[in-house]
Amino acid sequence: MTTTTSAGPRTSRPCVTVDQVRSTLEQVFDPEYPDISVIDLGLVESVEITPDGFTTIGLIPTFSGCPALAMIAQDVREAVESLDGTTTVKVQWLSSPIWSTERITAEAKQRLSSEYTVVLRRKDGTLLCPVCGSTTVQDQSMAGPTRCRSIAWCSSCRNPVEVMR
Amino acid sequence: MRAWTDLDDFQTFIDEGGIVEPNDDMPDEFRQEVFRFVEFHANSELMGGLTERDWIPKAPGLRLKQIFLAKTQDEIGHAHLLYMVAADMGVKSRNQMIEELFSGKSRFHNVFHYQAVTWADQVAIAFLVDAAAFASQRAVFAECTYGPYKRVLKRIVAEEGFHLRHGEDMLMTLAEGSKLQHSMFQDALERWWWPAVQLFGPDSDPNDPLLKWKIKSERNETLRTAYIQKFVPLLQGYGFEIPDDELRYDDEAKKWVTSEIDWEPLKATMSNGGPDSRRRIADAATNWADTAWVRDALDAATINREAA
Repeated sequence: MTTTTSAGPRTSRPCVTVDQVRSTLEQVFDPEYPDISVIDLGLVESVEITPDGFTTIGLIPTFSGCPALAMIAQDVREAVESLDGTTTVKVQWLSSPIWSTERITAEAKQRLSSEYTVVLRRKDGTLLCPVCGSTTVQDQSMAGPTRCRSIAWCSSCRNPVEVMR
Repeated sequence: MRAWTDLDDFQTFIDEGGIVEPNDDMPDEFRQEVFRFVEFHANSELMGGLTERDWIPKAPGLRLKQIFLAKTQDEIGHAHLLYMVAADMGVKSRNQMIEELFSGKSRFHNVFHYQAVTWADQVAIAFLVDAAAFASQRAVFAECTYGPYKRVLKRIVAEEGFHLRHGEDMLMTLAEGSKLQHSMFQDALERWWWPAVQLFGPDSDPNDPLLKWKIKSERNETLRTAYIQKFVPLLQGYGFEIPDDELRYDDEAKKWVTSEIDWEPLKATMSNGGPDSRRRIADAATNWADTAWVRDALDAATINREAA
């Protein structure tokens, strides 16, 4: 998997904490959802910081063929590098665990539904319309505009709906 | 279901920030105008996606191939969503829209009526043309009084923003690359500058119903002028020359002013008489015919599933 590393200035300042890194990553947004972060989507698997500030961030991709991976890694690296107390920042794409929609935070699921009309399939396999709340949502096409979404149609309010998969 | 007594009543609803939904009894004039606009957008996404697809094998390197693959899927997906919204309006069926497009009876964005000659043309499209399309889509999204279209646009705009970042990356590679790369982009700029500027269209008609009903939020000339202000200094900053001998900076108005825009090339594309219109449409039609078996198989599968 790809790894991006860059050397920052060595300082004697105290190291960053895992919490600081994670809260910074809450402001690193997915390139295709300008207000949904890499934390929201559950892409951040691990954050490790050595005593001298060497920071390694382990990310997992939604889909391995996702075209945004390089951009996400770059954004993550730049955001963490800008923190005081990091020396070297390394971003790794991990091959496990495998990402699933269960990794998305409840709050982000809510926003994907209300702002983007993008929903997740419920446990019984049905879909709830993000526009009108009805269950009359039928799958239309496995291929949506991105690898991680398919297309459905709500026959009650007559809106296309996208399904994260 | 909401209904309005007349167009004045409907206008009041729009002016108060109302959003029309498919189950509303909307005025037929509104339905026709919105349908026409969404169909044009859908056609443009589809023709654009087919163009991107042509460049997947030619894109230099695996990463760029992956990006072009993803962009193709994006555009075709956008077309799919938009055709669903348009077909639901009950003016034309989805098949009718596609068949009219491929038989050369429909319109789509002017920029897809030109041929991309080199890789630099593709970069110019990703950087210049996509930015123009993005600006105009964003301006539609800003108001957009037809609910289903507005919801689809929300995602389209988010995804096009992502494409633009790729466009900038690709441009930087050429701009900061060898002399040959720089001159390749300069040549492409000469082919694509005017089509990108013309994409916004001539000055808006003061009575444009799309403005009145707040499908569009900005007049064409406002968007076009803003685009020129942004891209002239940006391209010049990279050492490129805008192909316009009369381009000047107006110190008083503090803005870039181009020579008078010739609208004939735009008009030609709108009657499918652009430089590459015939080939583009024929290729798309061939593709549609070649993939008929997939649709037949899907239809057969649906019928079998229903019968079971």
